[in-house]
Parts: sequence; structure tokens; C-alpha cells
Amino acid sequence: MIQLLIAGLTVGSTYALVALGIHIILRATRAVNFAQGDFVVLGGLFALSFVSLLHFNVWLALIGSTILGFGLGALYERFILRPAAKVSEGAVMIASIGTVYVLLYGHAMIWGNEPQPLPTFSVAQSLTVAGSTVAVQSIWVMGLLAVMLGVLYVFFERTMYGKAIRAAANDPVGARLSGINVDRARSVSAAISIALACFAGTIVGPITLVGGSSGITITVKGFVGAILGGLASPIGCTVGGLLVGLIETFLGSRFAHDLVDPLVYVILLVVLLLRPQGIFGGRRIARD
Amino acid sequence: MRQRLSVDLRLLLIFAAAVVVFGVVGAHDATLIQAATYGAIYAVVAIGLSLLLGNVNLVSIGQAGFFAIGAYAVAYLTASFTWPAGVAPWEQYLLATLLGVVLSGLLGVVLGFITLRFQGPYLAMATLAFGAIVVGLLRYAPAFGGVSGISNVPYAQIGPFAMSGIGAYWYAWFLVALAALATTLILRGRIGRAFEAIRNDPLAAEVAGIPVRRYTIGAFTYAGMLAGLAGTFYSSYLGLVVPDAVGITVSIDVLLMVILGGAGTVSGAVLGAAIIGFTNLYGHSYENLRPILYGIAVICVAIFLPRGLTGLLWYRTGRRTEATALPPAPAVAVPRAEIPAGTRWLEIEYVSKHFGGLVAVDDVSFALENGTVTSLIGPNGAGKTTLFNAICGVVHSDGGKVCIGGRDVTGWQPHRVAALGAARSFQNARLFGDMTVAENVAIGAFASKRVGDADIAAALTGYGVAHMRDTPARDLAFGDRRRVELARAAAGRPGLLLLDEPAAGLNADERRRLRDDITALRRDGITVLLIEHDMSLVMDVSDRVIVLEFGKVIADGKPGEVQQNAAVVEAYLGAEA
Amino acid sequence: MTDRLVVRDLDAGYGQLQVLRGISIEVGAGEFVAVLGANGAGKTTLLRAISHSEARVTGGSVTFEGRAITALPAEDIVRLGLSHVPEGRRLFTELVVDDNLRLGGFWRPRAEIDAAVEAVYERFPALAARKRAIAFGLSGGEQQMLAIGRALVAKPSLLMLDEPSTGLAPRVVESIFAIAAALRAEGTSILLVEQNARVTLRFADRAYVLEHGSVALAGSAATLAADPRVQAIYLGAHVDDARGKAR
Repeated sequence: MIQLLIAGLTVGSTYALVALGIHIILRATRAVNFAQGDFVVLGGLFALSFVSLLHFNVWLALIGSTILGFGLGALYERFILRPAAKVSEGAVMIASIGTVYVLLYGHAMIWGNEPQPLPTFSVAQSLTVAGSTVAVQSIWVMGLLAVMLGVLYVFFERTMYGKAIRAAANDPVGARLSGINVDRARSVSAAISIALACFAGTIVGPITLVGGSSGITITVKGFVGAILGGLASPIGCTVGGLLVGLIETFLGSRFAHDLVDPLVYVILLVVLLLRPQGIFGGRRIARD
Repeated sequence: MRQRLSVDLRLLLIFAAAVVVFGVVGAHDATLIQAATYGAIYAVVAIGLSLLLGNVNLVSIGQAGFFAIGAYAVAYLTASFTWPAGVAPWEQYLLATLLGVVLSGLLGVVLGFITLRFQGPYLAMATLAFGAIVVGLLRYAPAFGGVSGISNVPYAQIGPFAMSGIGAYWYAWFLVALAALATTLILRGRIGRAFEAIRNDPLAAEVAGIPVRRYTIGAFTYAGMLAGLAGTFYSSYLGLVVPDAVGITVSIDVLLMVILGGAGTVSGAVLGAAIIGFTNLYGHSYENLRPILYGIAVICVAIFLPRGLTGLLWYRTGRRTEATALPPAPAVAVPRAEIPAGTRWLEIEYVSKHFGGLVAVDDVSFALENGTVTSLIGPNGAGKTTLFNAICGVVHSDGGKVCIGGRDVTGWQPHRVAALGAARSFQNARLFGDMTVAENVAIGAFASKRVGDADIAAALTGYGVAHMRDTPARDLAFGDRRRVELARAAAGRPGLLLLDEPAAGLNADERRRLRDDITALRRDGITVLLIEHDMSLVMDVSDRVIVLEFGKVIADGKPGEVQQNAAVVEAYLGAEA
Repeated sequence: MTDRLVVRDLDAGYGQLQVLRGISIEVGAGEFVAVLGANGAGKTTLLRAISHSEARVTGGSVTFEGRAITALPAEDIVRLGLSHVPEGRRLFTELVVDDNLRLGGFWRPRAEIDAAVEAVYERFPALAARKRAIAFGLSGGEQQMLAIGRALVAKPSLLMLDEPSTGLAPRVVESIFAIAAALRAEGTSILLVEQNARVTLRFADRAYVLEHGSVALAGSAATLAADPRVQAIYLGAHVDDARGKAR
């Protein structure tokens, strides 16, 4: 039972970070980033290269991958999302789907098709908690998730710069009239979002192996989490992501493995039909 | 739109010739023929998606679901199922195909209903979920072979012939021809025009009388059936069906084909399928590079060529036309719809509308005398546009009654209200940008089948826009847009015409012309209700003026009376110190 | 009196729609200038064209304190000292009152922001009482004060206000105008757009009356307050119902 919980929260942490990343990019650029999951995979691969080519230790690789993700996110917004947004909202969706292809096969081309392991973050491999054996890496994942959430909280709730970014998403016209450069705010938002994705890919890398997998499923699961918890609320997205992880793991223990994915999609459809604003999406605060 | 269709048709004929030539010349090269056959199969799916995406503007990433249904239907019924004795193989294949297509169609209806509520990315996600659920269930079910799927599927049997090799090639492209023909006929007809209007502006389309929901569901059903049809041939050609091969990758591949080739045309779908099919064949050594290039191509197309490669041939951004010199006022009377004797065209009682805590319209009642011009005025935010929306069904009033021609239309869908003979224009002249002036005006007559070409021509001449009938609406100067919108509203022979700020943005000459147009409408017996801020126009043209403030009627009477009414003066100029 | 703001022959609109046709106005240092006119006349578009937010300028020029600002992006214009309190207020509804205010002077040094925000709280005690309230929950009057306060943190030399009386009770409207007058007394120029002509003309120094995107009347507030043509512009030329035709 404990093992299921831990496993569910571990995988849920990835989904939570993906959902959060989707939320941030969506609020800032009004774009749904279908490629978010592929950036997660990319993040893990970046870390792999840092470790194997540059001989970084895995912590340094985590930082390096996150920073790389930040830069990549800014470029992505500037050169792909922004020009597409000038055409139409549909064009942004299409452009992000095109990016999925570029990333998916780009990974395979550079790093090959086989999933590869990342070293764990500490030497100890497992731990006994309440009578069950638990992977230490899982604890790292959840702990690092908490740390990252803390960092994001401080940034967006306690710094002027973070608040300015939220303001730019909340009301771009009002933001411009207050001297805020909305384009730059959007870039930074996208950069943060992709940095989160790369961060997620690295921390979970030692468990799930990096590379060799399709990012689109991760994106979709993250999206399910966001919708479940409330696409408009950062807390909702985070909680929703964790919930999806838990649901997936528990379903997987009860039902045949192949049935889990369809069931998760059924849940998505049900939520979309019955309560599209999600658990935490109560009153519409922002004028979208 | 006409331009697009004619280019489309010409391209299709060229492709048809190419297919024939290729089939004859390349018959000996099995690899080539195989690639081309797969291309054909995907082309059928792409044609359906092209209609959904390009003609109705609905993004579906779930076509794989229908494809899988078709594939499994045939695979199961021809390979796993035990038929009673006496059913010939060709009958089996035929029945299986029919079942596959019908099931796909039914599922298409279901998906259509589900997605009515969604837009944009939510719509895409819902279709993705749908496709994934269908494929996931097929993947799970042991009766369908689980993860390994169904193998040993025999070749498709058409009569005594087994479709393999070159036979399959011809059959597959025959299916493409069938799909192309059906789709082209749809696009060129009334339904196609309705789709185009929906794609350009769903609200204006609904208000003009097009039942948008019904058509949307129809589009999903059609696209689903085509995908299912493609699937039925797929499994018999490949010889097996494996769930992972008919999953989301098919949905995304087909989407890419349509985007590359150009959504909205049949030839675009075929072109996209052909391109991807052939590069698949030849790019084998660069296995990963190929999809990367697709991805980059798609990104570039999304940004630079939103109408795909075929768009290069038919899409012309015209120069904005200069506002044209104004022709004289309409001399031709446009006949109007009939209502039962003794009833009024518009009667509303206690109509109210709240948005959250805000009361936009507060217990408004009035009845218009037939054949008169009434103006609705009031300070900003007084609720005038909301009242219009409530009358024509765009929003539903909270309580109260709206009667048109004696019939209670409260809660009706806008297209049904339009069918009764009520037409409306918008504050920002919502034209269908990609359609010509003539096509726009024709949509105005969509709901009333009595209206013929002569009436549409009369509307075009009557509003002085006949000389620009073939100009795409997006290229018009602003003053001309207004007149086209008026012509469109008038084309349906309405008895009731709601005009929302028709003078906004017009220069002095255009405003004089507008005054003449409204006077002519009254002369033709049409009942007009207009929202306006241009007071000299209002006072000049109206038989009656109703003043709203904070959603309530504060004055109602002849123009001169209202002008002197103290409450009205205060509403506009503010209270006396 | 040197002019702070000079607008010359301005054409502006939205996309294809042209709203302003060759408008020219001036606002001097320490002046309270009003722009009046019926709906659709172009008042809001004028302010948007000046602050370069949401409207497109297709001809003419805008000069602020001697500098041509016609082509500058909105966020740069604010930093020059020209603030715009837009129609609809455009508050950051998700953030609290204090954050909204502080963001108004986003680019300024911390100490200056602190001082400016304190000054706003002194001017609007009602806001001071609601420092940590989320902007979304404020009443109409409080939101208007917050919007003005946010613009003030930028320390503007010219403040533009777009229909600040919208949706407000008469007593609150009076207090808003009184604040504008006080600002003018402190040396800030005011350019105020309003539909409510009578109240405005009591507070303003000068006014322009717009019609169909051009200036129809201009003059001192006192002169215009007595001018019957103002009413004619708002409500149309006098109609004699018996004859059914204007004039």
C-alpha cells in the first residue's frame, strides 16, 4: 500500500510538473503546448549528456539541464510560438505538434532509441518505510518537487518580477499601461515552463530511464491532470497531476495494464463533460 | 471560395491522371506500388480530416479511432469470425466493410455530440481522448487479439478478385476517387457553403439561419466514415492489424498530411498523403531525419503557409479595395416574409438578462408596429446589444417572452429565429471573409428556401454592391462591408431587421446613404429595430425612439418627445448640478 | 503656456475601421482638459491612440513634452510620464491592492515606489484599509480609485482618464472628479474623457466635444457649459415631431 502510494506520487510528480508547465505557458501565451512532454524527455537526455560526456555529477547535471531548458523555452516562444500566435490560435497548436515530431525523432537521432539510465541522486538505493521497501530516488523526486514548488511560490508570490509576469498574463493591456514589457514576460514564462519540464525529466530519470519514449503520452497525462485539478489554477494543476499519478498507479494495480490508459482517458472525458473547470477552478477570476 | 474549389478540381484531375500513369508505368515495381497504395489509404482519411479542419475548422486528433474500427471490423470478420456456411468471401468482405463504415458513422455522431461543447485545445484533447479510448479498448479486448491484434487477414475480395499487388493499388485509388467525388460534391453544394460560413464566423452563420450544431455533427460523422472506410481496406491489404500501429500516430500523421497539403481542399489532402507516403518510401536510410523534417515543415507551414501547399495556388491576398463611390438608393423592392394577419413582428415582455451579479437587461417590454423604424438608444453599457442578443436567441433571457410573428421564440436557437424571417447585423460587420460578396449575400437567404437567384441579385443591386460580387469579403473597405452585411440581412426577405450600430465607422456620405437605405426598408414594409449612437441619424429616420439606461426603459415615444425628455437628457449629459 | 501634449491631425482606428479623422488637441502644463461627446464619437479611441494601446495610428502625430511618441510602444510611453487609466480599468484582478499599486511603477527604484504607494494610500484611505484584498473583490468605486492610484505610482506629468464615472454612484463620481482637480492643483495635467458633460464641465478648464471622430466644438469649460450646441451634439438637432424632419 505504501509502495503504491509512493509510486503513485512519484509518477504524479512528473505529471504535476508537466501540468504546471502547461498552465504557465497557457496563461502567458494562450497556447496549449503539446510538446511539453517531449521537453521532459529532452531534459532527462540533457542530464544524461552532462553526466556521460562532461562528467558532471548528477546534481550539477540537474542544474545544467534546467538552465538549458530555460534558454530553450525562451527560444521556443520567440521563434515558434510567437510567430504562430500572430496567425491564429489553431496555428500555435499545429506548430507545437510539429515541435513534437522534431523533438521526438531528434531525441532518437542524437541519443538513439534505447532508454538509458541516469545515476541516482544518492548512493543509497532503498529505504524501509513502515515495513515496505521504497526507492530512495522516489523520496528525492517528491522532495525536489516540493523544493521546486517552493521556489516557484516565492518567485510568483513574493517577487515583483514574478508578480509582473502574472500581471502580464492577467491583463496584457493593463500591464503595458503600467510599463511592463508583455512580450518579455511571455518569453520568461515560456522559459520557466520548459525549465520545469527539463527539471522533471531529470529528477525522474533514474527511475524511469531517459529517452526512448514518446513525450506525447506524458503531455496528455499532464493535461489530464491540469483539467482534473483546474487548468486555470496553479494549485489545481499541481494537485491534479499528483492525482493522475495516484489514479494511474492504483488502477494499474487493480486492472490489466492495458486497460489503464483508456480508463484515464475516460476520466478525462467525464471531467470535461461534467466539470470542465476542474476541482479548483471555481469562480473565473481572470478575464481570459 | 469559388477560386479554391476550381483550383481544387483542376488539381484533382491532374492527380487522377498521375495515378493512372503511375499505375501503368510503375506496375512492375512492387515497392513503389505498395507505397502508393498505402498513400491512397491515408489519403482517404486525410480527405475527411481536411473537410473537418479546413472547411469547418474543427481540430480532430482522434481519426485513428475510426480507422481502427474499420480495420478491426474487417480483420475480425474475415479472419477470426466463423461465418455460417454459404457466405462467400466477397460477401464477407462486403458485409465487414459495411459494418466498419456504419459503426464509424455512429461513433462519429457520438463524437460530434460530445465535442459540441468544446473549442480549440479542449476540442483537440477530447478527440484525442476519444481516439485513444477506442483504440485502447480494442487493444485490451482478448477477442480482438489484445496487443498482438489480428493476423492472417485475407486480401479484400471484390467479386471473384482478391485485391493484392496492382489490383490493390487500383482499388485503393478507386476509394480515393470515391471519397474525392463525394467530398467535392458536398463542398460545392449548399452544405459546403454552410460549412464555409461556419468556418469563417460560427455566430454570424447561426444568426443567418444555418443550424451550426447539426452541421458540425454531420461533419464529424462524415470524416469518421471516411476514416473507417480507409481502415477497412488497410487491414486486408496489410494482412494484419496491430493496435499500436493504428493508434495516435495515425491521427497525428494524417493531421500533418492535411496541414502540409492544405486543409480545406481535397487535393491538399491527397497531396499531403502522397508527399508523406513517398518520402516514407525513399527516406529509409534517414529514418529519424524524415519525421524531423516533417515537424519542421509543419512548423513552417503553420507560420508562413497557413493554407498549406495548395494554398499557394489558390489563396490570393487582394489589395484592400478603396471604398467605392456610392450608387443611388435602392429602387428594387425586396419582398418580405409573411406572418399571420393581426400579429406583430416583434413583441417582447419582461425580458431580463443577468451576467453574474450584473443586470444587463431589466424587465424590458415593448411591441413594435409592423413596418416602422424604431431606434434603441442609451448610454454605454445600457444593455442594448444584450437585448438584441436575447431577441434573436444568441443569449437566452432569464424570464420574459420574445414573440416574433405571434410565435413564442424564447429560448429558440438563433437559426430557427432566422428561419421565421428575422435578420440581424452586427456592430463590427461580421462577414465571411473568405467568401465573395455574392456568396456572403447568398448565405443570408440560406434559411428560406423560397429565395432564388433573382432575389439575391436584387439584394446585391439594391445595396449597391453588385459590381464587387466576386471580391472576397476580407478585401473590402469598411463602408462597403457594412453595405454587404445589410444586403446579406435583406437577402433572406426578412420581415424584421435588427441593426446593431449600422452607422459606426461610416463617413458622412455613407451615413446619408444608410439613411436612405433604412427609409427604403420602411417603404418595403420591413420592421426595423436599430441600435445607434448617431443621434442625427436616429432622429431623422425613426418613427419611434426607446431609451435604455442601466437595462431599463426610461423613455419611449416620438423622436422629438424623447429629445426633450428630462430623464433622457440627464442620462446622456449627466445630472444638473 | 507650453503644451505638454500636442496631437496633430491624428487618424486612428482599429484594423480597417477608421474612427478618428484628423483630430488636433492640446493639453498644457497643469491644465484639466476634458474630451466630451456621444458614444462612438472616438473619445476612447483618442486616448488609446495617444497611449498606443489597442488602437492603431494611421496618420498624424502625437508629441509629449516635445518628444514624438507616435511610434513608441505603450510600455515606453508610460515611462516618459504619460499615464492612462483605461476604460474598463484593466486591473490585475488576481493580485492584491498593494501589488496592483506597486506594479504601476514597476521600473522605478524600490524607495520611490514605496513613497509613491504611501502617497496613494494617503489620498485614498479606503484603499489603505484594503491593502491585502484581492482586486477582483473590490467595489466599483474602490476599483476606480485603485486604477487611478496605480497610474499615479508612475509619477505621471500627464494623467489620462477614460470615463472614470462608469458604473459609479453620483457621490463617488464627484469624489473622483475632486481628486482629478486636486491633482491638477499639484501640477499634473489631466486629460479626461467623459460622457457625463455637466459634471465634467464644472471641474475642467477647457473641453473638446467630439463628433464622428473629429472636434466639433472647443473652448473653455464655462463657455461650453452654456452652449446649447453641446446638447444638440449628444441628442441630435431638434426634431419637430409634427413635421417629422430635423431642423
